[in-house]
Amino acid sequence: MSAIDPTEVFRQEASELFEVLEGALLDLGQRPDDRELVDSAFRALHTIKGSGAMFGFDKVASFTHEFETAFDRVRKGEIEPTQELISVALAAKDYIRALIEDPQSTDDVIGEAILDDLKRFVFSDQPAAPVAAIIEAPSPAPAERKQAGWHLYLEFESHILRNGSNPLDLLEDLCKLGPCFVVPVTDGIPFLDEMEPEDCYLKWDVKLHAACDKGAIDDVFMFVQDEMKLTLSPLEQVEAPAPAPLFQLLDEEPAADVETPAPVVETPAPVEAIAAPAEQPAAKTEPKSETKPETKPETKREAAPARREEARQDRGIATVRVQAERLDELMDRVGELVIAQARLTQLAASGSDLSIKVIAEEIERLASSLRDTTMGARMVPIGSLFGRFRRLVHDLSRDLSKPVDFVTSGEDTELDKTMIECLADPLVHLIRNAIDHGIEDTAARAVAGKTAQGRIELAAVHSGAQVLVTVKDNGGGLNTARIRAKAEEQGLITAGAVLTDHEIHQFLFHPGFSTAQTVSALSGRGVGMDVVKRTIENMRGSIDLSTRPGEGTTVTLRLPLTLAIIEGLLIRVGEGRYIIPLSAVEECVELTAEDERSRGRNFLNMRGNLVPFLRLREIMSSSGTPDQHQKTIIISTGETRVGLVADQIIGNHQTVIKSLSKLHSDVTIFSGATILGDGTAALILDVAQLVALAQSKVEKQHISEAA
Amino acid sequence: MKDGLAAERQADAMQVVMIGLGEEKFALDAGLVREIIDPVPVTRVAGARAFVPSVINVRGNVIPLADLRIRFGMPQLENSADTRIVVIELQLDGEPVLVGVTADKVYEVTEISQTDVQQTPRVGMHWKPEFIRFITKWREEFVIVPNMERILN
Repeated sequence: MSAIDPTEVFRQEASELFEVLEGALLDLGQRPDDRELVDSAFRALHTIKGSGAMFGFDKVASFTHEFETAFDRVRKGEIEPTQELISVALAAKDYIRALIEDPQSTDDVIGEAILDDLKRFVFSDQPAAPVAAIIEAPSPAPAERKQAGWHLYLEFESHILRNGSNPLDLLEDLCKLGPCFVVPVTDGIPFLDEMEPEDCYLKWDVKLHAACDKGAIDDVFMFVQDEMKLTLSPLEQVEAPAPAPLFQLLDEEPAADVETPAPVVETPAPVEAIAAPAEQPAAKTEPKSETKPETKPETKREAAPARREEARQDRGIATVRVQAERLDELMDRVGELVIAQARLTQLAASGSDLSIKVIAEEIERLASSLRDTTMGARMVPIGSLFGRFRRLVHDLSRDLSKPVDFVTSGEDTELDKTMIECLADPLVHLIRNAIDHGIEDTAARAVAGKTAQGRIELAAVHSGAQVLVTVKDNGGGLNTARIRAKAEEQGLITAGAVLTDHEIHQFLFHPGFSTAQTVSALSGRGVGMDVVKRTIENMRGSIDLSTRPGEGTTVTLRLPLTLAIIEGLLIRVGEGRYIIPLSAVEECVELTAEDERSRGRNFLNMRGNLVPFLRLREIMSSSGTPDQHQKTIIISTGETRVGLVADQIIGNHQTVIKSLSKLHSDVTIFSGATILGDGTAALILDVAQLVALAQSKVEKQHISEAA
Repeated sequence: MKDGLAAERQADAMQVVMIGLGEEKFALDAGLVREIIDPVPVTRVAGARAFVPSVINVRGNVIPLADLRIRFGMPQLENSADTRIVVIELQLDGEPVLVGVTADKVYEVTEISQTDVQQTPRVGMHWKPEFIRFITKWREEFVIVPNMERILN
């Protein structure tokens, strides 16, 4: 077992926290009143600070501390999270990230500048506020003190000690808020022989005599709130200040509890009765709790427990962090299992032993459910990807001064994790294009009678065995005439050639093609769309463009659900067997004698539509004579349909996709290979390439007919 | 190329797998060889280059099967009882690639001395010189140490 570098674990954890933080900050820009967002940003900051200090990232800890202090005022509702503040906060977040990931690249000066900015935003607009808060605070405080104080009942989950939380530390923190009267509730302690030494059986009944607000108490239990029950009720009336003897936590007793003999393992030792000096409570009252202004409306505080309940349920779904390579390995093993199972099934089918057949069926069932489970484990909601683009849109819209409303939907749509990774770059390109080229500038929008704010929608939706990811803008749409002019200028088409709009739009995917009149820092260099197309096609997906002049452009990416295993149709052509991805198959028909006769023109008459077909025997240059009854498999990509003529359709096949090696990278009509039940390799046909091939044949035929 | 030769001379013995192709003997660097297997059913890849005409299944991996005889202009013999597939691992464009190589016969794993290295003659050969790393002597016979990266690229 190789030791895991704790620093690496911290980095990983931090990067997740950064995502939470960034998401919360960006959301906050839209919903400045949402306390939940402020809290979650604050929690993320707090955790980064804490773990940072723990792992020796002192700079991170100190910077985050400053950040946190500034942000605390937002949390207290003293200042509004304005757009400017959020921009600075995002910059601060980036700086912390840099501190963690590549400390060498950062400069303290930058950090200080960001902090200055932050302070300016946080403190400038109301310089008198802190003073006011202090002045104001005492006045409500005495009034509250009459009935101030809280009665807490703490019940921790039994496993809390194993997570490294020490309830005693929490009680100590609680004591810092004011004088506490702590009574352990020992009802839950079992008999010695039933006791788990690592479980926490104690509950505590605490009377806190302090004028602090509920938030301060929540803060104490912030990190364990999911693992405990906290019942809070205000004390009816103030009890005589510090009745003696007062039960109080002794600071010097942290370890003693462990040594105390069972069954009172963590019982009374820390909660020793001492005569508390009467002045201590007053001294202990933290200035923090006094200055804390009671600005929060009561209703918001009431909502807090409900929210926490919700959060607890959310987090109730236990998750395990697994290394990606292990999942890949698991997928490989499952792939091998599926292949072995196919062999077993074939063997069982050829024999007559009924019991073997039963087992083979059983294993087939198990293998296919194991396959589904494993694939499910690799599925990641696409929302994790969408989150990243909000920052991109935020920055771009600021840099280009085009206000943009960014809307996402279908974040729950799940995709194989490798595909999510591959999708990031293409989507960045598409979103950049949408903002830079798609959305017009504010003046042009006003002329067109549109709202000043552009709109970009990023959506993901399941559609059969595919996932559709669309990037939609409500900009000016593609300028077909200009694309055409450019294509003519670059010699891609001859002037005056008859082309549909759709065909003209395809030039956008041509390497080095750009219609932007000015090259901006973002786009217009003509690098991008061809790369996008290639990336998507490498994932066995396809890309569609549709546009309406003046109304906007929609780019649709069609992606297969997974890269690892697909349902395939096994066919035979001559001696060779091939797989066609079942998702592309529309129907299978017999090649009629009439179709057979019309050798010159390879067209099928499908219910009145002409469908071109390819003879796979010719493409594969098969030897031998063709079977008498040739079958045609109609495949489709998008709107185009093509028939493939094969000798025999064998049946469905669970296809574990193996990529072809570099030595066969020049072969385009196969997208990969798989292993059949008898252990031989079979090639998987690349549907998109075959369709393109059929199209080009049709065009050639047109040309030769025209000539 | 020269540096490579010099480095090889320093370590004068080299572990090789001796295989027969047609009339010739080839010495494959034993460090490249992963395994030697009996012939398995091959799957022809339509449209592939002639020297990598097919793919095979080796322990659940689909790997290309190369035919060196085509690269060296030798006649292709039918599989015999001696035919084997030597699975080697190569670095192609910086990535490890498994390739099967058909051998008419596999002799043995042996050592060849690098002190006997003969300069590849520039004339009198019908093979492309870049396919050959060097020619050496083994048991009074000339053997060819092929440059597999070049042959398969």
